[in-house]
Amino acid sequence: MTTAVECRALDRGYGSLEVLRGLNMEVATGSIYGLLGPSGCGKTTLLKVLLGRLVPWGGSALALGSAPGEPGAPVPGPAVGYAPQELALYEDLSIGETLRFHGQLQLMDRAQVAQRQAWLLEFLDLPSTERVVGKLSGGQKRRVSLAVALLHEPQLLLLDEPTVGVDPELRARIWDHLRTIADSGTAVILTTHYIDEAAQADSVGLMRNGRLLAEGPPAALMEPHGHVSLEQTFLLLCRREGGESGLAATPDAEAGDVL
Amino acid sequence: MNFTRIHAIAARKFASLRRDHRTFGFIVVMPAIQIVLMGIAIGQTPTGLDFALVDEGPSGMGASIMGHLAGSESLVLHVDYDSIEAARDAIEAGELWGALHVTPNGALELHLDNSNQQVTNTILIEVRNAMTATLEEQGDALPLAVAQPVYGERDPAFIDFLAPGIMTLVCFMFSLILTTMAFVGERYDGTLDRVFAAGTTPAEVLLGHLAAFSTILIGQVSVVILIATYGFDIPIHGSLLLLFLLALLLGWAAMCFGLFVSTKARSEFQAMQLNMPVMFPVMLLSGILWPVQALPGWIQPVSWALPSTWTAEAFRSIMIRGWGLEHPEVATAFVFDLLFALLALGIASRTLKVRD
Repeated sequence: MTTAVECRALDRGYGSLEVLRGLNMEVATGSIYGLLGPSGCGKTTLLKVLLGRLVPWGGSALALGSAPGEPGAPVPGPAVGYAPQELALYEDLSIGETLRFHGQLQLMDRAQVAQRQAWLLEFLDLPSTERVVGKLSGGQKRRVSLAVALLHEPQLLLLDEPTVGVDPELRARIWDHLRTIADSGTAVILTTHYIDEAAQADSVGLMRNGRLLAEGPPAALMEPHGHVSLEQTFLLLCRREGGESGLAATPDAEAGDVL
Repeated sequence: MNFTRIHAIAARKFASLRRDHRTFGFIVVMPAIQIVLMGIAIGQTPTGLDFALVDEGPSGMGASIMGHLAGSESLVLHVDYDSIEAARDAIEAGELWGALHVTPNGALELHLDNSNQQVTNTILIEVRNAMTATLEEQGDALPLAVAQPVYGERDPAFIDFLAPGIMTLVCFMFSLILTTMAFVGERYDGTLDRVFAAGTTPAEVLLGHLAAFSTILIGQVSVVILIATYGFDIPIHGSLLLLFLLALLLGWAAMCFGLFVSTKARSEFQAMQLNMPVMFPVMLLSGILWPVQALPGWIQPVSWALPSTWTAEAFRSIMIRGWGLEHPEVATAFVFDLLFALLALGIASRTLKVRD
């Protein structure tokens, strides 16, 4: 088993605020990794470090074998696909123009883009390519955002809340597809609020206050605590950590709010 | 540097601009409106100035001056004041801008409402012309004669000085406004994160934007030059092409600076505010409205650090003097604008960081 992403004692924050504190993480090639945690726990910051947008303050992060953003590293570049939480689409472009624009940025040729576009439209149940993104529903926009991340068939896929507002049937289909591309060697890291969704991942990281409380296959995480659900496991781990570091410092990170 | 990516970014930006009809209309129409308004409002000669002639002098002289003054387009001549006291009362009451008194011993005395310098200048020019013409009729001449100027017209209008300055100002301002907002939004809505995730470099992002805006710049510059020269009948003694190219370079300098502002501003409101410390020096210190030579010495270095100062000077040299690139004044403007653009672009590509 090879490693697609590896973080060791990773520190990173903004100004005087420390967000990631000594985070350790390991994502295997060809697996789906679910990142679970409350808002503000550092999930997005972690993804931005993996994209090379944020430079670690301390520790190390490796994506596809290199520190992201270093000269010659595959990330950022066509090796990575990224769907940010805030959608990040140009509202005035049509769906077709959006995919063509990102296809060009990924240095794909026209025929490749056209072929992938036809498939993605069908798969993600998107309306005509002529439709302007700004006039789509929230769920449709999220699917366009996902289409952009999947367009160039990257080896590493970073998805920030990819299934919010997507109907259950389509969500199941997206998971089937993620499973398919993972089986063909892609590493998928996704953040989610849906605990059931995380339970389908090959590996889950329970994140809180800038570090992982636990990491491993869902079944292995639940087993030592004797609990039947991931939610109970997370709650127990939170309480144990709260006793050490004091919950008062992070009142918004109550496990109950999160899950 | 990858041309495909630059092209993708330029095409995307241009599509956005074209689709936003209101903004696109603003971009196309505003420079035209501004140059027309400035041309109409500033630098033209005042007309309809009420002016009296009180003739108590020896016969002949007053009548001759009166004849020439009556022919003036600027003055509305009144000859129904019996005494200079009556004319002064009328000036005091605001009925007249001035009066010319031909005294019984043949001397000329000008009485003025000197509250408006431009009006006074107009009256002085008209009176001087009338006197010169009268003396010529008598076979005489003023002791000082102005020979045919080496450059410029015999009676230069303020608009001839101003037009090159206004062209500078409009080209600079609109290019700046166009780009300062360029990607303030994109830096915060995640779209730029996505562009960078694909491996795009800041230089590619900046050049893509610059290419998209340049298509608009070419249109704006053409409109500004055509209106300024043909609309206001301002003579161009030099090369129109040279004028166009320099205006383009100035536009690029302003755009590159605008892109730099765009990499710094946290919001569109802040971008607007950041423009102000540049707009006012450009307007006031570039010799656009008043000669740089009239500025106090300590502030003149600021003037010469602005591309607009060099450009306005060069515009004047091309338009009025008919100079070309062989003159250092003109060539320097091209070099300075280019260097300014490259420097601003270089700094912008450093402040627009992929990695933080």
